[in-house]
Amino acid sequence: MMRRILFNLSVWSAVLIVAFPLFWMVVTSLKPQVELWARPPALLPLEPTLEHYLTLLRDTSFLVYFRNSVLLSTATTLLVIGVAALGAYSLVRFRYRGRESLAMLVLFTYLLPSVILILPLYLMMVKLGLANTLVSLVLAYTTFALPYALWLLRSFMAGIPEDLESAALVDGATRLGAFRDVILPQLLPGIISTALFTFILSWNEYLFALVLVNSDATRPLTTGVMNMLISSFNIEWSMLMAASVMMSLPLIIAFSLLQKYLTRGFGAGAVKG
Amino acid sequence: MAGVEFSRVRKEFGGFTAIEALDLRIEEGEFVSLLGPSGCGKTTTLRMLAGLEFPTAGEIRIGERVVNDVPPGQRDIAMVFQSYALYPHMTVRRNMEYPLRKRGLPAAERQASVLMAAEMLQLTELLDRKPRQLSGGQQQRVALGRALVRDPQVFLFDEPLSNLDAKLRGHMRAELVELHARLGRTMVYVTHDQLEAMTMSDRIAIILAGELQQFAPPQEVYRAPANRFVAGFIGMPSMNLVDGRLAHGSGSWQFMAPGIALPVPALAETAVAGEACLGVRPEHVHIGAGELQGRVQLVEQTGHENIVVLAVAGGIRLTCRTPASMIPRMGDTVDFRIDSERVHVFAPGDTGPRLNLPA
Ligand SMILES: Nc1ncnc2c1ncn2[C@@H]1O[C@H](COP(=O)(O)OP(=O)(O)OP(=O)(O)O)[C@@H](O)[C@H]1O
Ligand SMILES: [Mg+2]
Repeated sequence: MMRRILFNLSVWSAVLIVAFPLFWMVVTSLKPQVELWARPPALLPLEPTLEHYLTLLRDTSFLVYFRNSVLLSTATTLLVIGVAALGAYSLVRFRYRGRESLAMLVLFTYLLPSVILILPLYLMMVKLGLANTLVSLVLAYTTFALPYALWLLRSFMAGIPEDLESAALVDGATRLGAFRDVILPQLLPGIISTALFTFILSWNEYLFALVLVNSDATRPLTTGVMNMLISSFNIEWSMLMAASVMMSLPLIIAFSLLQKYLTRGFGAGAVKG
Repeated sequence: MAGVEFSRVRKEFGGFTAIEALDLRIEEGEFVSLLGPSGCGKTTTLRMLAGLEFPTAGEIRIGERVVNDVPPGQRDIAMVFQSYALYPHMTVRRNMEYPLRKRGLPAAERQASVLMAAEMLQLTELLDRKPRQLSGGQQQRVALGRALVRDPQVFLFDEPLSNLDAKLRGHMRAELVELHARLGRTMVYVTHDQLEAMTMSDRIAIILAGELQQFAPPQEVYRAPANRFVAGFIGMPSMNLVDGRLAHGSGSWQFMAPGIALPVPALAETAVAGEACLGVRPEHVHIGAGELQGRVQLVEQTGHENIVVLAVAGGIRLTCRTPASMIPRMGDTVDFRIDSERVHVFAPGDTGPRLNLPA
């Protein structure tokens, strides 16, 4: 009994410690300007207001940045999942020379700090005529999300028995059909967690966005909000917090919708023995 | 209806040769078992027939058609996998429907075929369950059902019963034999269980290290094994194999080993004096009277008979069967006799060919 209480206490304190900054973010975003620097600070706003949100949405480019971020992260995720799923399939199912070394080589990219990659990447984008476009960011994000996604999906793929695919082939499916009918449904939990991982990575990315794009029309949220609300002289705290709340919302919604896939087991009982 | 033919089929994996040069002709409607120890290439042979592996050389025919380049789905075959390979995210109904769906049959026809197969295999109650909600035996029947729904030319089985318990296995053996009798389709059945091969097959293909050793009906494989490997592989308890010498004297052949001297009849032309191997089935060693002596080393009572191991001179051991009523005492020395009309003689070597004509 005692142990249970202790356990519960420690778990709840951990939750509190993690949740408090989030809570403070929401509270700050709702406080009117005059309450921000009140001492002692009030836990809850005395007169909650949505003025910061309204200002952001009405008077700034917040929505443009938001749209850019959504486009960017969605496109990156789709591209990464598409390429990684096919790549993982090839690495697991086909036997060819250098298959293992290829898989290792892919991870090698992580040994280089991204700062080193940025300049060559930027020059490449300029040469390709893609400088200052969302496409350049999609390509850049793909380069750093793809290796990890490939490895993640490869291990999920390796857990799918080859017999399943053989059975589908004998039953009259083409290779592509077998992939769609049998492999893909088995891979779904893996795809969802990999997609979520890629989406979060792109959504929160800062460095590449800072270097590769520099016009308001193409900036994503991370650099856009920074640029707009943080200057050398001043930080617009309440607006920053309001922006942060709105930035976190899509991730929180995605997580709560997909939670059951993230924790669900994989095709248990598919194959005996 | 279609038979199956392998001509000079060879299969290499990288540098490793799994199948040397396989020639095998399976007649229309025949039930053939591929039998052999683990790793001998049974699954590889079956997968080549299914189109899941490609032969390095040689030709495979189903009916009149060379199928080397025909994808699995167009070979008009059905296959039951050892792992069953049921699609985990589909219900039993969807699983059994899948091959029909892939062939573009209309829904009504699909339903009818599935229901018929389900009835035959007593799966009607289970149609809306997912595979993980089924027992091993039920999963096995669904796998069978998925093969049955579309009435293919050839059925392929890769050790379909090996995950079942002994009782269910016996039951399913009988079911499969009945199924074969009813459908009359060509069936190729991979197993490493000689009991399955002996009880179900029209003919057995015995394979060792990718080479065909003998291809004959069960009785013939048992009565006249083509070489020493087949002799030792088929039969439970297995045949006694004694290394010794063949000698020729006054128009007849003699086999000699320490403590054993035996006239052997009907040797083939190819026989020469020298090293050889004698094969004797346990039921052809008779304890009680005779000119040979051995010490009783082990007695196993199975209920309907006893298995007795005799130690003869020179470290030779002979296994024999005796009636249940006859229980020799351990350690006793007994007289015994070998039925020399029923012995087998093989040339030396692990796969030394048979030297005497079958009794
Ligand atoms: N994909 C492969 N790559 C390399 N070698 C393989 C491959 N598949 C099979 N082999 C080899 O070919 C040989 C025959 O394998 P196969 O699976 O046909 O054996 P089997 O007779 O079915 O054995 P078991 O009774 O254990 O199932 C084995 O030595 C195996 O290691
Ligand atoms: Mg096998």
